[in-house]
Amino acid sequence: MEQLLVPMICKIDKIIQETPDIRTYRLKFKEEGRMEKFSWMPGQFIEFSFLGSGECTFCIASSSTRKESFDCSIKRAGIVTADIHSGLDEGDEVGIRGPYGNWFPLNDLKGKNLLFVGGGIGLAPLRSLIQYCIDNRNDYKDFTILYGARSSADMCYKDEIKEWQANKGLRVVLTIDKAEETWKSNVGVVPKILEEVVKPVIENTKVITCGPPIMIKYTIQSLLKLGFADKDIITTLEMKMQCGIGKCGRCNIGSTYVCKDGPVFTNEQLKLLPDEF
Amino acid sequence: MSFETFVTDKTGLQKFYEAIIEKNETYAPVEKFGNFDFKRITRLSECNPESPIEKTRSIKPLFFPRSAKVMKYVATSAGTEIAETDKDPLAGKRVIIGAKHCDARALQVLDKVYSWDYIDTDFRNRRQNTVIVSTRCDKAAIHCFCTSLDYDVETLDAMDVLIVNGIDGKIYIRAKTEKGNAFLKNFPTIHDSQLPENEAAPALKAQYEAFAATFRLQMNYREVNEKLSKVFDSPEFESLSSNCISCNTCAFVCPTCHCFKISDEKVKDTGVRYKSYDSCNNGYFTLMAGGHNPRPAKYRRWRQRALHKFVYYKERFGENLCVGCGKCTFACPVNISIFEVVNQVSDTAM
Repeated sequence: MEQLLVPMICKIDKIIQETPDIRTYRLKFKEEGRMEKFSWMPGQFIEFSFLGSGECTFCIASSSTRKESFDCSIKRAGIVTADIHSGLDEGDEVGIRGPYGNWFPLNDLKGKNLLFVGGGIGLAPLRSLIQYCIDNRNDYKDFTILYGARSSADMCYKDEIKEWQANKGLRVVLTIDKAEETWKSNVGVVPKILEEVVKPVIENTKVITCGPPIMIKYTIQSLLKLGFADKDIITTLEMKMQCGIGKCGRCNIGSTYVCKDGPVFTNEQLKLLPDEF
Repeated sequence: MSFETFVTDKTGLQKFYEAIIEKNETYAPVEKFGNFDFKRITRLSECNPESPIEKTRSIKPLFFPRSAKVMKYVATSAGTEIAETDKDPLAGKRVIIGAKHCDARALQVLDKVYSWDYIDTDFRNRRQNTVIVSTRCDKAAIHCFCTSLDYDVETLDAMDVLIVNGIDGKIYIRAKTEKGNAFLKNFPTIHDSQLPENEAAPALKAQYEAFAATFRLQMNYREVNEKLSKVFDSPEFESLSSNCISCNTCAFVCPTCHCFKISDEKVKDTGVRYKSYDSCNNGYFTLMAGGHNPRPAKYRRWRQRALHKFVYYKERFGENLCVGCGKCTFACPVNISIFEVVNQVSDTAM
């Protein structure tokens, strides 16, 4: 019954403690040969079941160009995510449905300067695209990553950020909200660092941003002030979802289904939606 | 496409129903505590195919169950197995008698959401395997407004077989779909009483006109669609919904509401996942982990309900997500009427 909602079983290959409240779960399908058949695009999401606790929506935080497994970075924020953090260990099994939703407009990004602006756990969906673009580096021009977190301890993917910093083809700008003794980089909220430090080239640049709603709001304001066009600002929306396939009615904003028409939208598209997200 | 019409009387109709019940898995309105719900029956005496509309639940649960098992599973330290789910009890060949026109119409509206992009094959199979026999009402109930919406109640083809109690005392039976036409061929006693179209059409029309004259509520749905699309910020949503106790009854009895939730229940190693009715009137409906809620106030949730029915679904799928059956209003414990809400808010549009 209800065939569309039955998940497939995945095994947790590895758990990485990213920050005090964020863990990355590296997953592989249990069924032989299933992982090879599973393909996704950067920006898509899955429904992740901790069977017995519930099902949650998470973006896939890694790129399909690195296909031996896939990552979900999960912040402890509610009932199921708390259960996931306390109840799941490496080797345990979970249910997965997907991939669902649209993805970042890869064709529109080709030949462009890329500016990624991420905050906190909002780097997760960007990381899928960042990895994808690094693996296809020749398709893009300048490549800038601005990432902010509340504190240095709250930064995700610390080891991978070091790799990005060592990569001569990337410019990485990091910031934290409040000064720390050992912190040598920028201090200040993301929009401020965007304007004062990154000072992005506007022409031929696409901005991809994700973070807490308040950060996205002020980042978009800054980008518009700097002269970016709405169509060149791309973000991915967070809405409560359950089915992920345009049926359960939960993620609707007006006549838009975030799970099907999104979660990736340009600011041009967001401006047409009723102010209810 | 028009099909043949047959004429009979009360005894003939009764025999027709009995023959259906004898040969088919049949569902019909069965009374319990003064209300009627569609149940499996084996004898005509168990049901009332002409149950009063204001006391009858919709046929939606026969296609979209109130709570359905998605799957069973066993999760232990040794691993997780998704067990065989039970056979779908609603997937067999079956017949519904006593369905109301508005409820049958609601399934046509729901077909749109269940068949865009991901196709809900369970819903589709249940639809395909069901013959719907629907009797046209003789009189509108106090909250009915089906004749004011974007479908023609008179020519509706949402049922496979139409039954009309003519004002001349005769009973008319007519196939409305190929499926219904083929179905009627199984009942030779009915088939012997064929009526020429030039006699059938005026009889059906006369009954419809008498029925249509009994409506207390009338509106122009095009005007409501148009005006509602411009009143997102109307303060009327707040005053009109202030009595709402967020009990969600309106959504649970609505034949077109289709929002659902997915929930797990696990005892020791064995769990069941359910898909159950939910409602946008629930405060937690859009509440996200971490506390953000795009619709934190009751009036916003009511606005979502009204606009989803009369603006958003129309934009997306071309139909109103309301069939004018009045069930939500009959069932509402605080007497909120969707008809009044959408019309009064519309009146605030410039």
